[in-house]
Amino acid sequence: MLSPEIDYKEMDRIIGDVKSNIQRLMEVSGGIQCVDRNCERIMAAIKMLELNISDVQELLP
Amino acid sequence: MKNTDLYWNLLLETLPRDKLKALQFKKFKRIVKWGYENSKLYRRIYDEAGFTPDDLQTWGDISKVPMLEKEHYRTAQAKDPWPYGDSLCVPIEKVTEYRQTSGTTGQPVYQPDTWQDWEWQSECWSYILYAQGFRDTDRVFIPFGYNVFTAYWNGHYACEKVGCEVVPGGILNTEERLLKIKELRATAMMATPTYVLGMAETCRKKLGIDPAELTIEKILCAGEPGASVPATKKRMEEAWGAKVYDHVGATEIGGWSYECTSQPGGPHVNEAFFLVELLDIDTGEPIEEPYRPGKIVITTFDRLAQPCIRFDSKDVSMWGDPCTCGRTFRVLQGGVHGRVDHITKVKGVLFSPVSVEEVVRGIPELGDEYELVVTKKGDVDVITLKVELDPQSGTTPEQLQPNLERQLRLKTNLAYKIEFHPFGNLPRYQVKAKRFKDLRKHV
Repeated sequence: MLSPEIDYKEMDRIIGDVKSNIQRLMEVSGGIQCVDRNCERIMAAIKMLELNISDVQELLP
Repeated sequence: MKNTDLYWNLLLETLPRDKLKALQFKKFKRIVKWGYENSKLYRRIYDEAGFTPDDLQTWGDISKVPMLEKEHYRTAQAKDPWPYGDSLCVPIEKVTEYRQTSGTTGQPVYQPDTWQDWEWQSECWSYILYAQGFRDTDRVFIPFGYNVFTAYWNGHYACEKVGCEVVPGGILNTEERLLKIKELRATAMMATPTYVLGMAETCRKKLGIDPAELTIEKILCAGEPGASVPATKKRMEEAWGAKVYDHVGATEIGGWSYECTSQPGGPHVNEAFFLVELLDIDTGEPIEEPYRPGKIVITTFDRLAQPCIRFDSKDVSMWGDPCTCGRTFRVLQGGVHGRVDHITKVKGVLFSPVSVEEVVRGIPELGDEYELVVTKKGDVDVITLKVELDPQSGTTPEQLQPNLERQLRLKTNLAYKIEFHPFGNLPRYQVKAKRFKDLRKHV
């Protein structure tokens, strides 16, 4: 059931943006543990968004 | 209700079958490559078979991938990096969670997970909970002794993700758990079928409370086939006045299937996260048609620390009909029917212990507990069925026995030696029950 009112491509694009932003945050953290460790957790959650939404993009119309 | 409210993930759960299969093949190739490149265990198994990930060109090539058994993990583990050894696919410092199998079939398997794996486990369980109607309005009681076993840990974290309020039943005893459910007016819980029935019995006998008068509306069952055995499901639902839903998972695999609120007679396979193959028990031929039993071989697509690729679960099931809920994920009719190593020939007849459960639990005069023991007397197999008479039944063993024998013969085509035990004498279990014992020497 591919609901026409849901823009999966846009969701995928935003997921990519969020991931890039967190990766940039990790790069500039200077090794501050509270930043790195929280970013790692966020990255795991982003991975779940990728598994749920991004992985299937190439198969959608 | 909007469509998005019916499913945890409208997109994947209702994906057309052809697209779902394409997604599965893409993910299958990805995890096989991951295992080959990062695990000494998989590299060794694949090299010995002359297989490389590049051999995966079409769906039909999946059967070329060597299968993995629990014993492979056992032999690869208990060495450095301690204790996961050659089965580990990530640097040891990336492991944040340790769990282990129960050891029912031998030395426990150690299960490492990274934080991402753990998040993934919660995600799998969120599919389960959402399909069974768990919502942010639920207060979920978890009567589980949080420990080294996976059991309901992921149920706990998924409840948080779905937005439920979680009450950890931890080290409370059964009576204390029941009183806490009553005090907090919990709306849902999760436990093995054995324990769900045991809790109901304790509630009635020790607390003098009818469990149906408590506020539990839904129960998620795991660990045993009971919630997909109609008679056992009926007993649980009547005892608690609640809907009971099945879920099948395993420590090395994850939470890979779930019954939905349409209750189609078995759980859906989460086919976006797992590949389930049913293989003919004798020939190994893939089974696609419904109602033909086969052995479950399963692949976990996205768990990375210790991947599970074409894992021979030794469980038996069969495909069912499409469900009315709208999910395109296939249904395993009757859930897990039993284990390959439990489905054995007795007196030359193929025998599945679960079929006896259906008979025993379908006779209201009998208690919930039973035990099956197979022995050999000379050259003859003898099956002893131990049951308890419900003291409230108003009947006697002599009155009940002919009906029990007849139903057993109809269901299994076998004769049994029946023993009636005083109510409360058979073992009570809190997690997985061990009701089947095959004591014949050749087994």
